Amino acid sequence: MAVCVAVIAKENYPLYIRSTPTENELKFHYMVHTSLDVVDEKVSAMGKALVDQRELYLGLLYPTEDYKVYGYVTNSKVKFVMVVDSSNTALRDNEIRSMFRKLHNSYTDVMCNPFYNPGDRIQSSGNLGISLSCRAFDTMVTSMMIQVC
Amino acid sequence: MSRQANRGTESKKMSSELFTLTYGALVTQLCKDYENDEDVNKQLDKMGYNIGVRLIEDFLARSNVGRCHDFRETADVIAKVAFKMYLGITPSITNWSPAGDEFSLILENNPLVDFVELPDNHSSLIYSNLLCGVLRGALEMVQMAVEAKFVQDTLKGDGVTEIRMRFIRRIEDNLPAGEE
Repeated sequence: MAVCVAVIAKENYPLYIRSTPTENELKFHYMVHTSLDVVDEKVSAMGKALVDQRELYLGLLYPTEDYKVYGYVTNSKVKFVMVVDSSNTALRDNEIRSMFRKLHNSYTDVMCNPFYNPGDRIQSSGNLGISLSCRAFDTMVTSMMIQVC
Repeated sequence: MSRQANRGTESKKMSSELFTLTYGALVTQLCKDYENDEDVNKQLDKMGYNIGVRLIEDFLARSNVGRCHDFRETADVIAKVAFKMYLGITPSITNWSPAGDEFSLILENNPLVDFVELPDNHSSLIYSNLLCGVLRGALEMVQMAVEAKFVQDTLKGDGVTEIRMRFIRRIEDNLPAGEE
């Protein structure tokens, strides 16, 4: 159901980005990149209240013609961005929230893997010759993208 | 999950995540310090051995188990008392050899590997090899020379983790064998 899932480090570089239709990859990268400004804006605007409530979910960042972009920021300022197809009206706020929860939990597990160095790209073995094994994370993201497509 | 000795019969709880992360940090540091995985495996075994020869005293003092009469009894005590006490799991004992000197400990879930995924460049690393060392060291202090090794590991894609234990001989005189 999600068409693109991205994890962005505190310093705003991508830790993980994955999208379904690979030919449009650049479009999604651009979309996620644009959304970071909105994330920053949202965080600084309601910064205080956000911290107090420990609310990590930022809600809808912005809608485009075909897609909706949602955001989530952890207390350590790691950002999760998810792009969802607009036509999928069945997707309620609650579902998005629970998907982010799942993503956050998986990310925590990746961080707890002793072979993962914080700040490295999360990549399943292959690309760029770097083989950080984060198969579980990758599988989880895949399942999130396949579900009700 | 894991418990720590409180110098008494009651045991204190300890966060299993802290334990798992500590072990993970230890193994990755060893991976950085040694060039190849075989050396890391050897080092883990050695550390486990040193833990085992101490841990057995703690175990005997706290568990009140008596002397075992045969290897089957020993296996039972290891699985049902020792693993339960220190790791909070109870492995099952299977695959006895006909002669009764070899058996397998099957660990359904291994608390040491909770978050771990082995990277491809460490394919020959035996991540939990410390456990083998502990078993070997502890049994050596009660006059049993054994060999312990991993034959299956969930980290390597197997369904379960299996430690194969082989009884070698009784150590007759009480002299500690000079390992290191």
